[in-house]
Amino acid sequence: MSVIAKPLDATGGKRPLRVLYVVHNHPTLHPGGAEAYALELYEAMREAPDVEPILLARIGSNVARQRVAHPGTPFSSVNGDPNQYFVFTETEHFDFFTLTSRDKALYTRHLTDFLLAQRPDVVHLQHTHFIGLDLLTQIRRVLPDAAIVYTLHEFLPICHRDGQMVRTFNNELCGEASPRRCHECFPQISEQAFFLRQRFVKGHFENVDRFIAPSAQLMDKYLRWGIEPERIEVEEYGRRPPAVRAPAPQQTKAPVNIGFFGQLSYFKGGKLMLEAMALLGEDVDAHLWLHGANLELQSQEFQDEFAAMHEALRGRVTFRGPYDHSELPKLMADLHWVLVPSIWWENSPLVIQEAFFHGRPIICSDVGGMAEKVSDGVDGMHFRVGDAHSLARAIEAATSNPRLWRSLRDGIREPYSMDAHVAHLMDIYGNLIEQREGVGAHA
Amino acid sequence: MPEATSKRSARAKSRGGEVAVRRAGKLAGDVAILICEPSRSGRARRDPAIEVARVLDAGSNGGPVELELESGQRIEMPREQWEEVSGELKDLLREELASFDAGARETVLEALAHSTSIGGEPSFELSMSLFGVREVLRERLPRGTVKPEQPTGLAVEQILAVDDTSFWINGWMHDEDGLGEVIAVSPEGARVPVSREAFRYERPDVVEFYSGLGLDRTQRHGFTAHFTLAAPSLLAGGWIAELHTSDGLQLEIQCPAVVRDPQQARSTILGELGARGDIGGPLAATHGRDALTRLQSRIVSESTVESIDSYGEPPTDPEVSVVVPLYKRLDFLEHQLLQFSRDHDFAAAELIYVLDSTDQTDELAKQARELFALYGQSFQVVNLSSGAGFAGANGHGIEVSRGKRLLLLNSDVIPDRPGWIGAMSEFYDETEGIGALGPKLLYEDNSLQHAGLYFHRAAGAELWENAHCFKGLHRSFPAANVARPVPAVTAACMLIDRALYDEVGGLPLHYVQGDYEDSELCLKLAEAGRQNWYLPEVELYHLEGQSYVPGVRRVPSEYNMWLHSELWGPQIEELMADFDAHAAIEATEPRNDEKGAIVEPA
Repeated sequence: MSVIAKPLDATGGKRPLRVLYVVHNHPTLHPGGAEAYALELYEAMREAPDVEPILLARIGSNVARQRVAHPGTPFSSVNGDPNQYFVFTETEHFDFFTLTSRDKALYTRHLTDFLLAQRPDVVHLQHTHFIGLDLLTQIRRVLPDAAIVYTLHEFLPICHRDGQMVRTFNNELCGEASPRRCHECFPQISEQAFFLRQRFVKGHFENVDRFIAPSAQLMDKYLRWGIEPERIEVEEYGRRPPAVRAPAPQQTKAPVNIGFFGQLSYFKGGKLMLEAMALLGEDVDAHLWLHGANLELQSQEFQDEFAAMHEALRGRVTFRGPYDHSELPKLMADLHWVLVPSIWWENSPLVIQEAFFHGRPIICSDVGGMAEKVSDGVDGMHFRVGDAHSLARAIEAATSNPRLWRSLRDGIREPYSMDAHVAHLMDIYGNLIEQREGVGAHA
Repeated sequence: MPEATSKRSARAKSRGGEVAVRRAGKLAGDVAILICEPSRSGRARRDPAIEVARVLDAGSNGGPVELELESGQRIEMPREQWEEVSGELKDLLREELASFDAGARETVLEALAHSTSIGGEPSFELSMSLFGVREVLRERLPRGTVKPEQPTGLAVEQILAVDDTSFWINGWMHDEDGLGEVIAVSPEGARVPVSREAFRYERPDVVEFYSGLGLDRTQRHGFTAHFTLAAPSLLAGGWIAELHTSDGLQLEIQCPAVVRDPQQARSTILGELGARGDIGGPLAATHGRDALTRLQSRIVSESTVESIDSYGEPPTDPEVSVVVPLYKRLDFLEHQLLQFSRDHDFAAAELIYVLDSTDQTDELAKQARELFALYGQSFQVVNLSSGAGFAGANGHGIEVSRGKRLLLLNSDVIPDRPGWIGAMSEFYDETEGIGALGPKLLYEDNSLQHAGLYFHRAAGAELWENAHCFKGLHRSFPAANVARPVPAVTAACMLIDRALYDEVGGLPLHYVQGDYEDSELCLKLAEAGRQNWYLPEVELYHLEGQSYVPGVRRVPSEYNMWLHSELWGPQIEELMADFDAHAAIEATEPRNDEKGAIVEPA
């Protein structure tokens, strides 16, 4: 027989907290840090009591071979999980400067329908790239009681240069954005345009109840940019320990193996590492192992330079190609060190936590999130950011002193656990909902 | 007083008195033109009267010749007298009508133009004769050619036959004050003013042309109109257009040949609607809608059943008739027949496919034979003479069917499991006041394609569009698993009582190509006091085709949307005031422990 449903009793039984996670990509489509974390968090929330998570990941023709999956709706299922959805958006509709979609029906029609149907208590956005910041305003309008949480993974809201805060003309790190300084980086874009961009972003950001910064240095820059201290807090990425931990490497075995994991891009130090390896003395017995993806997405110039340098460094550098997360224990097993040579601030590179899970000390740049998460002389070594000579010297020190390696390895602490992270997030969600109940629909 | 008649008249008797027929000529078939003496009534002699009559009885068996006038009056006269006065049309024209003055000629032409509707079917022969008469009698105006010293001009660019009695015309005109009148003259002589009610618009190309002549006068040169004649016009050639300006200038031009193909006419009219601004503007409201509705009727009525192929023995007294229109995609047939052949419900159901893409008759026949041999599932294939569109094709299938209930089904719908017809029928039996019933339809990735149809209007917009509840969400989404009344259900899979279907007039024919027929049917059911229901316990897959590019609206669908809102706007508004499309009604049973399991009904 069929069921005629009744609305739930207002005083009735406890209902799990519904949390909608929104992210700009899905790891099954395209590798990347924020999306990998978002999926891990969703999976952890699924196992936690009293919470029902929903994951909404953007899909588009730039990452998937398909066009819109179904006529009349941008939503489709992610591998049959009833709580995971793709939302399709046209890449051409996204304005990369203003961070909005030109197709406003995406917000007013489709995402509104989705929000009204799902009725989340909390919307936790990991990323709005390709979707657009207008979503924040629409959530607030359509679900006045919902708490809106936004995790910041890089500086896209602040910086038009891919969110890196690195100046375009000399690749120096940028400490502060302003219409004038941004115009200096992009002479073809006027100061007025940058002013409007900032107003646009901040305007939609008004709707966010709590920003989460995985690193203190990231929070610092957002405070400087103008987010109120009471609306932002530092909370590291929580991680599940790997099922298998890589065994300790055999130290007597030369050479010293240094591993790099990540996207092989300029900002990640793709060129820098090879320059440093080229500077090493003949007697330095170190080998660099590159595990990376998306080389083909970089500029042709970069790809050519990379190929040339790699060719010249044949004996010392090996490119092992893309890797799957599950291969990490095996890949780490041969390595002594993990290298994070980014020339931008970074936020909280996931690879640092992964290396620590496997007991590998880190060699990294001395700025930003890297310097924050790795303590020089405790669980890793710093080198001067962007300086190939400095990196070369660090590598030499690493190869010449096995005792250094052991002491740094002993200094490694277990990374922040996903369980603790989930508990803290649930606290945040709970507090915000209580606060909003007081505020009601007038926010 | 004795009636003075000329020696050559024949006196015809009728109940209404005598009619003196001076001359008669055959127009075509059994239609004749009569020149009658004017009836005397003590006043001055008037012009002779012209009548068009049908010869009911030619008097071949010795009796009198019987004629029926246009007014319905019947007259008769002895055969010999008839023979004396009747003769060749051309002689009559030359000897009688040629001497009429201008006023009399006009009267004659007017009378004749009506005559195409005399008697049974209009005939080409009659039209040709009338054309001949017109050419003799009509006043020829100066030809319209634009010169710098005489800039007044007229052009007709297209004239389309919507049906035999109504036409679509577009062109442009230029005169001193824009108050000139355009009159269209049919080959058979009917005169219709077209510019008075026409839709007027700017023609930048005409403005440019005239400014090239040194004339700077912006007017709304263009005109488009749908006009109706009192009687049919059948000829493609011979239309004339006249321009009569406010200061007495008159000219005429030849019109291009009439486009008679209904599909071409339809796409031309739709194209014009699209080009002249808003689809739902005055052109559509005043001219387009009527023209397109007539064209739709014509296209559908011109499509007839050519043959019906039967495969196997259909059930003798079927409960349900499953009607499936096929259009271009024949590859789903195999998948449907496989699933149906494994379903006991199909023993009591009759299955009827209607082929709407008529060039695939042989291809389908071959496939049908093979598939029947393989699966043994009995079905019929209805072959049509020409494409009838979604509603028309369904109509043919329904007409052939015998079941008490109708199950309308799309060719790209594949059941999830057997027993679905039975489950739907049971629910239909048990639900009082039900109108149409629709099940849950899924996309191939188990997300929802249909869970009830509602109406959506964007903020600030005037038109309603059809939308599906929870579209794209997972098949287990709780609110979509509640059987409930809904404003409408899709015709992709719809169960309805036949008598009820007939009572409300079935699927409407006036939408172009297909869309909104199902929602209109459901609105008609609601108007008749019925309730449409959504039944999630029954699930089928609807592999909806990617037949359009998102973001690009095609003119036919825009027109359909406008027409739908035009006809049903107020009712929809009322219906939607009480319906929550996102109905966050949670089932009374809690979800199972394992997240994602389908909610079990109470």
